[in-house]
Amino acid sequence: MKHARIRPSILLVSACLIAGTAFAAEPEDIIKYRQDVMKSQGAHMAAAAAIIQGKVDYKGQLGDHVKALQATSKNVASLFPKDSDFGDTKASDAVWKNNTEFQKYAMDVRAKADALAKAVAANDTRNYGARLKELSDSCKGCHKDFRKEEK
Amino acid sequence: MLLAWLLFVAPLAAAGSATSDPRPPWMAEVPGVKPSVNEASSTGQTQVQSSGRLLQGEYVYRAAGCYGCHTDEKNHGKPLAGGHALATPFGTFYSPNITPDAQTGIGRWSEQDFMRALRMGVNPTGDNYYPSFPYPSYTKLTDDDLRALWSYLKSQPPVQQANRQHDLKWFARARSFVGSWKGLYFTPGTYQPDAAKSASWNRGAYLAEAAAHCGECHTPRGALGGIQSGMHYAGTREGPDNSVVPNITPDKKTGIGRWRARELAEYLETGTKPDGDSAGDLMAEVIDNGLRYLRKDDLAAVAEYVLSLPPVGHSVRKAGKKSVKKDEFE
Repeated sequence: MKHARIRPSILLVSACLIAGTAFAAEPEDIIKYRQDVMKSQGAHMAAAAAIIQGKVDYKGQLGDHVKALQATSKNVASLFPKDSDFGDTKASDAVWKNNTEFQKYAMDVRAKADALAKAVAANDTRNYGARLKELSDSCKGCHKDFRKEEK
Repeated sequence: MLLAWLLFVAPLAAAGSATSDPRPPWMAEVPGVKPSVNEASSTGQTQVQSSGRLLQGEYVYRAAGCYGCHTDEKNHGKPLAGGHALATPFGTFYSPNITPDAQTGIGRWSEQDFMRALRMGVNPTGDNYYPSFPYPSYTKLTDDDLRALWSYLKSQPPVQQANRQHDLKWFARARSFVGSWKGLYFTPGTYQPDAAKSASWNRGAYLAEAAAHCGECHTPRGALGGIQSGMHYAGTREGPDNSVVPNITPDKKTGIGRWRARELAEYLETGTKPDGDSAGDLMAEVIDNGLRYLRKDDLAAVAEYVLSLPPVGHSVRKAGKKSVKKDEFE
């Protein structure tokens, strides 16, 4: 009888342990993932800019780049969970201290990436430059207040 | 593409061929604000004044980055009313109020007081300024640009806000420290053009060295806070507010030697780097409040100058990963 009682609780505890190890990612891995996503956004920005500014002739691929930007900008704030504020990161303490402000930037970048993707989907070529600039200004605005060029 | 080429190259060619102008070619031709690409009004700045003198002054003001340091933007301070903190190895400096308020600003200054402050690094009562005020660069501005800047600052709305005292480390507290510092590292005098170089190169050098004072942050300093010779623009790990300031010499490995002049000019205007990353922190502030207002030919001139400098191999990237929680040091 005793055994029957203990067993479910042991099972429960071990299930929690397994779940815990499966979902609590290492902060270093979160930071690395965040940087990889950010770098990919930078690369798509540069690629989209080169096409929009007429430096290269890959018009057919512009949609791919702006869709990637739109997808990766959906929830930038989720890349900055609590406890990912130390280690090899340039994220400023302000991300967590002024989180409300930070969330506004995250929503802004989402809106700007959406607008660019919509302009491209609608073939609204005249506004490509303006939408791109708004998106890069949004990136810069957040980096200005929330990315620290720190030691 | 052709249009882009015309916009980019034509002003340079025009500047180079303007030999009938009696002024030295590295000085501004008729200064003016940029075409409306950057929507200056959207930032809530004052509307462009009609007088040419004020326009010239505003241009110098943008190029010299006065607003960024003299406005406590983080705490929603009023423009030019000071109080912006600048943390350095010598302590924290708080920028003074440079609005024309008579009590707390520079409303009682004469034009001569102003010229002397920027040219010689002394206040109207003759005391030395700490070089956190970048007069070692501003001393290189021309009389004409200094006067125009004075007119512009005087035209700004006065704000009554008392100056906050610097919070300095013991060894930096005595102003005599600054006197010795000036003896060692400060050479007053207007920018001297290099006759062997092109007009646009000299214009770029003037803007970078005298107005934008790039070297004040991008050149490493020795233990006494003097600029290190041979390390011009080579970057530092001990920049303002504990920031890492990148090497902007054209060194291919550690600097920006892989950037093209066009890319650098574009970065100075938009903050977008060739790899698609965007400027952040202090440089974003410098661009947002200053450099983006400069004309394209001027930004191209700065790029030409910076990329012509001797490359210095100097890495400022951190040596190893920090994996200690920040709070443990606080």
